[in-house]
Amino acid sequence: MSATSTFFRRPWVRWAAAALVVIAIVVLPLLLPEFANLTIARIGVFAVAVLGLNVVMGYTGQVSLGQIFFVGLGAYVTAYGVEQGWNIVLVFALTCLIPAVVGLLVALAAARLGGLAIAMVTIALPIVGVPLAKRLSDFTGGSQGLSARFTDAPAWTGLYNDQWQLYIVLLIGGISFLLTRNLVRGKYGRAFAIVKGNEAVASSMGISPYRYKVLAFTVASLLGGVSGFLYMVVIQYTSPETLNFGHSITLVASMVIGGAGSIVGSLLGGAYYVLVPQLTNEIDPSLTTVLQGAILLLVLFILPGGLVSLPRVLRRRRRRRRDDGARVAASTPAMAGPPDAPHPPPTDPQERRQDT
Amino acid sequence: MGTFIQLVIDGLSTGSIYAALALAIVLVNQATGLINFAQGGMAVLSAYIAWQLTAWSVPLILAILISIAVSFVIGALVERLLIRKFEGGDPDTAVVVTIGLLTLVTGVCAWIWTYNNRLFPSLFPLDTITIAGAVISIRSLGTILVIVAIMVLLQVLFLGTKLGLALRAVAINPQSAAFSGMPVGRLLMVGWGLAAGLGAVAGALVAPQLTLTPNMMDGALVYALAAVIIGGLTSPIGVVIAAWLIGVLENLAAVYVPFIGHDLKIAVPFIMIFVVLIIRPQGLFGRKTVVRV
Repeated sequence: MSATSTFFRRPWVRWAAAALVVIAIVVLPLLLPEFANLTIARIGVFAVAVLGLNVVMGYTGQVSLGQIFFVGLGAYVTAYGVEQGWNIVLVFALTCLIPAVVGLLVALAAARLGGLAIAMVTIALPIVGVPLAKRLSDFTGGSQGLSARFTDAPAWTGLYNDQWQLYIVLLIGGISFLLTRNLVRGKYGRAFAIVKGNEAVASSMGISPYRYKVLAFTVASLLGGVSGFLYMVVIQYTSPETLNFGHSITLVASMVIGGAGSIVGSLLGGAYYVLVPQLTNEIDPSLTTVLQGAILLLVLFILPGGLVSLPRVLRRRRRRRRDDGARVAASTPAMAGPPDAPHPPPTDPQERRQDT
Repeated sequence: MGTFIQLVIDGLSTGSIYAALALAIVLVNQATGLINFAQGGMAVLSAYIAWQLTAWSVPLILAILISIAVSFVIGALVERLLIRKFEGGDPDTAVVVTIGLLTLVTGVCAWIWTYNNRLFPSLFPLDTITIAGAVISIRSLGTILVIVAIMVLLQVLFLGTKLGLALRAVAINPQSAAFSGMPVGRLLMVGWGLAAGLGAVAGALVAPQLTLTPNMMDGALVYALAAVIIGGLTSPIGVVIAAWLIGVLENLAAVYVPFIGHDLKIAVPFIMIFVVLIIRPQGLFGRKTVVRV
């Protein structure tokens, strides 16, 4: 097993693997049927939203229940811009900027109280957002909503619409994931982890918890806006229903179930968000909400690290069984986490827990 | 002038409903340091239980009392079977647990009773009386009186009884409380049970006004959380006053500020939160907590 792991650690192997993934991403949309392409594109849309939620919740430890508000805001900005006939690059820039500014303002107030205030304030965002979207009907089209078709494949590409849309999602989503990965692995990621671990320790080290919480929330809102843009790319229609409080809760559930504080977990979360409601609807539509609540609680109970930690948990269990058999130093369980899950620094044992 | 008085009294009445939910949230928070986002959902479940009992032709008062008792048991069981595993750990995880609980409870209500609106009979007669030119419903006055009575009872419970003293001790320092021989686990269960019972009162009071649906309390939960933030997590009286303030201000804003109107009045507590958080981050009546490394 160690031979294979050193093999995979060689630089050229990693580059080759990355190249394979890129080629697969470029080729697959051309091969897959339309339905699969659309499903993957929708997973991409919500994976970006979950990624944003991960920045603020998974990495920084601030519960946010308002992420869908920023997705909806981004979708509305996109729809309005397209309707006004603005340049699409300008529209995209605004879709990043406006949710980020709104998120900054919300966080400036909410992060002051610390603790669960962000959760308590953000729960109001989608609940206020729906009547607000209905009220500002000059911009939002009221209850009717807005639709915008700007992502039909250009003729010169010779692609179908679904392929073109999937390419846009893969490109913008891919860049969002890369940039976020760099953010949370670097200096800021370490600061986030310390703030998450113990705020008092963070401030005693000269890291302002307030500033980093506000920063994380702003980044999350920005990613929510990007997700809203992609939402319009794929779904091409938004209404107050987009902002529904239930969607926000499902986003939180998706993040936890995928794996908090993990890049891959965000992808799994996006897949959960899109696929599982379809699945539970197949079983029994009236049971959908019950099942979703039950799945969330079940995951919290038996797999607190989310789906992304499943291989690690299985590996540990297998190793423990082997160790039990051989009675070798079982006192050092392997804590080999996935490379993209930064463990918070050792702090007060009361505070410190596995990233949940 | 008549309209003004009427708006204030009606505001106090709706504020009282938020206050009941907010008191339940404070109760759980005081006992466990958690914010229970499922409080609204549990209140809806209690209201459905009461509704089901009346549908089985149990008298309304009795139905509500039974639903309070059943809710107490449910609340205690939820603490014992679900929350206990996450207490003392990462508060964020515990919050997500309560969110999962909210989804589950809402789903169960929708599954058993569907999303169709149910008419919930009012505890108070729908007659009105006229005071200084304002037409005021008995229901508003009754709701306010019920909440004042509960607030006084809670205050007496916490400050005047042994149980209240024990609950406070567990809240302030569970470890020391355990060392001095208190049954911390049982006290936590009692705290959750009391909160669920309070939620049942809120459910019975709010259901006649909104008609009963599984999502009925989502809005009320926001108001209650706003009251908790504005009043300060540590002060039951502060929370009730904040809830009343929200109810009155939102009613006045809906009528006197044209842009807000009736459909946007839920934004009022949100704006108040912003103002309060910027001026007094610990809430109007809250204590500042000191953090030690």
